[in-house]
Amino acid sequence: MNRRIAIRNMALIMGSAALLPACLSGDKGKPIVTLKQLKLDAAQENLVSNLCETILPKTSTPGAKDLGINLFVFKMIDDCFDKKGQDDFLVGLEEFETAVDKKYGKSFNDLTVAERSAFANDIEKQSKVPNNKDKDNKANGFYWAVKGQTVFGYTTSKYFMTEQIVYELVPGRYNAMFPVKKKAAV
Amino acid sequence: MANLNIDSIKERTFDAIVIGSGMSGGWAAKELGDKGLKTLVLERGRDVKHLKDYPTTNMYPWEFAHHGQITDELRQANPIVSKCYAFGEDAQHFFVKDKEHPYVQEKPFDWIRGYQVGGKSLLWARQTQRWSDFDFEGPARDGFAVDWPIRYKDIAPWYSHVEKFAGISGNMDGLAELPDGEFLPGFPLNAVEQRFSKHVKSRYQNRHVISARCAHLSKPNQIHLDQGRGQCQKRTLCQRGCPFGGYFSANASTIPWALRSGHVTLRPFSVVESIIYDEKLGKATGVRVIDTNTKEAIEYYADVIFLNAAALNSNLVLLNSTSNRFPNGLGNDSGTLGKYVAFHNYSAHISAEWDGDKEWTTDGRNPAGGGYIPRFRNVYKQETDFLRGYAAGFYAYRSRETSSNGIGEELKKNLVKDELGNWQVGSHMMGETIPKESNYVALDKTQKDPWGIPQLKISVVYDDNDAKMKKDYVEQMTEMFTSAGFTNIQASVDNRAPGLDIHEMGGVRMGNDPKTSMLDKWHRLHACKNVYVTDGASMTSTSCQNPSLTYMAFAARAVDHWVREKSYQ
Repeated sequence: MNRRIAIRNMALIMGSAALLPACLSGDKGKPIVTLKQLKLDAAQENLVSNLCETILPKTSTPGAKDLGINLFVFKMIDDCFDKKGQDDFLVGLEEFETAVDKKYGKSFNDLTVAERSAFANDIEKQSKVPNNKDKDNKANGFYWAVKGQTVFGYTTSKYFMTEQIVYELVPGRYNAMFPVKKKAAV
Repeated sequence: MANLNIDSIKERTFDAIVIGSGMSGGWAAKELGDKGLKTLVLERGRDVKHLKDYPTTNMYPWEFAHHGQITDELRQANPIVSKCYAFGEDAQHFFVKDKEHPYVQEKPFDWIRGYQVGGKSLLWARQTQRWSDFDFEGPARDGFAVDWPIRYKDIAPWYSHVEKFAGISGNMDGLAELPDGEFLPGFPLNAVEQRFSKHVKSRYQNRHVISARCAHLSKPNQIHLDQGRGQCQKRTLCQRGCPFGGYFSANASTIPWALRSGHVTLRPFSVVESIIYDEKLGKATGVRVIDTNTKEAIEYYADVIFLNAAALNSNLVLLNSTSNRFPNGLGNDSGTLGKYVAFHNYSAHISAEWDGDKEWTTDGRNPAGGGYIPRFRNVYKQETDFLRGYAAGFYAYRSRETSSNGIGEELKKNLVKDELGNWQVGSHMMGETIPKESNYVALDKTQKDPWGIPQLKISVVYDDNDAKMKKDYVEQMTEMFTSAGFTNIQASVDNRAPGLDIHEMGGVRMGNDPKTSMLDKWHRLHACKNVYVTDGASMTSTSCQNPSLTYMAFAARAVDHWVREKSYQ
């Protein structure tokens, strides 16, 4: 599939046009992702989106794709990562693909949801094992980059900041001595 | 020039010209307008109108394309300004980009600038403390720089004057080393800040942790409402410009006030190339301006010039104002112009944890930022192997103990965990540096800026005194934290270049003797008495207070002096 079409479809499916950032331009009114630095093919873009959704799936609350977090992740890596960070991301992405293929004999995009979660959970567990030499490999680096931006995008999203932990633009108050009990009651 | 006819000259003639519209220039403009002088305020950057030109002020985090982060492109293009703590996606439009105004770093110096109406008063950290005679008498007692030609009693009424108008929140702490002022109610210390304050008071002589004094309207008076400002709403998003005018900026306060007087004209996009000196009259007669849009050179004339271009640019203007009488820069008979530049040493921090007071937290946000520890070293007598001392910030906070462990439902739960972690405490140093002849700025001989003005060459470094003071700060704070029962104490010293403190000072210092200083006790050039310099350039020494309040008081006092005396005539 043509990459531009793939991205357009992705954006449409997610219905997240409202969250599409400024670097997306219209094509017959339909948004298309144009990444400035990162060169990803359609399969790789799907992989990143699927990994975002694996980390932050739709449950009783919205998931990464519902909230357009995957698009935010693309934007952050494209705009805010430096050249080395982007190079590491791309190498890590390939090594991640290789590691998945070695384990399952198929691509991450073709895994079941359960398999994707199992694979991600393995990386989470590895990071807690002291002196694990795999912990800092580039595939894992790629995973943590995607996770870091997914968590950042999610916890600073409108959804999270209005419906989970409410962000106040104008607190209007400072109570220096505030009992914890009272806070818990709120 | 085509328009050199009589009418045009008349149109370009004022009672007073103010160069710069920031912290001190705004004050000069306001005072001149109040006294009815026809005044021209020149600003090299664009206009930033209160409310109208704060594009990000009401944006939520998710409304920023990168949720507040700056892009790599912006960072790569701006290695200097992107080091500044406040250079985020929400306020980057108020900072000078590196390429817009190049300068020569003979030694590394991070020059952080805000070229717009209001200057850096939009972006400052809003901490305001008076100097005392322990500060003004420092150079004379300790044998560095030259004696200040003024003392606390000279400036005290002007501190009061500007505090009442700007609105300063603080407590009457009764400390000789940090005089009380005209305060609005202070922002209280929280449980752990209070605990530390009590601990320090009981254990150490002459050490105090007080509520930080800051330029926020905790409870506005009529004079603040008259400015169109309202109560601080504790947003702590000040660097975006405040929609309530809750903190003092030239944009919210002095500049619109000055313009409302009907006597003041504001001209943005006007870089001052030089001050014009008339050898026959023996005084300055005006300024030469380059319009940054048209690149046209235009002259404006006035009886008096107030130079408030921010410390290093005020140096640049004088250095570039040469004549037969002053071949080395206006007023530079002493040869000290551009020399004895100093700054504040902010290069050490310390953090720790407090496993107690768990029944307490805070609610809302504290615009003062927490506590302030006035200088306690070498105040009453010399007691260390370094000169002078440091003030310190002190703050305590508690956050939700979230984690981003796991994926899926587990991760979602971890991110909304509502348990409070232990109290975290922190402090940063604000050290006085000693002005030295070898720390200087000068005109670069070959390189020019986009307006054809020589670039400023900066050569400013730390010295051994700074290193010893930094070590002492870490030792003393570690000891104070340890004895307070704080744990996990971590000192971090960074190797930042001078400049990032954004407190560069000196180069046009005050002094009694025209042979060793540039300005007299009224902030006039000794050798050209209708030019006043009342910004950071005038500082003979730096002490360790945040300097803006002192510049405001200097500017108001200097205008009053000009209007009362016109003594050069």
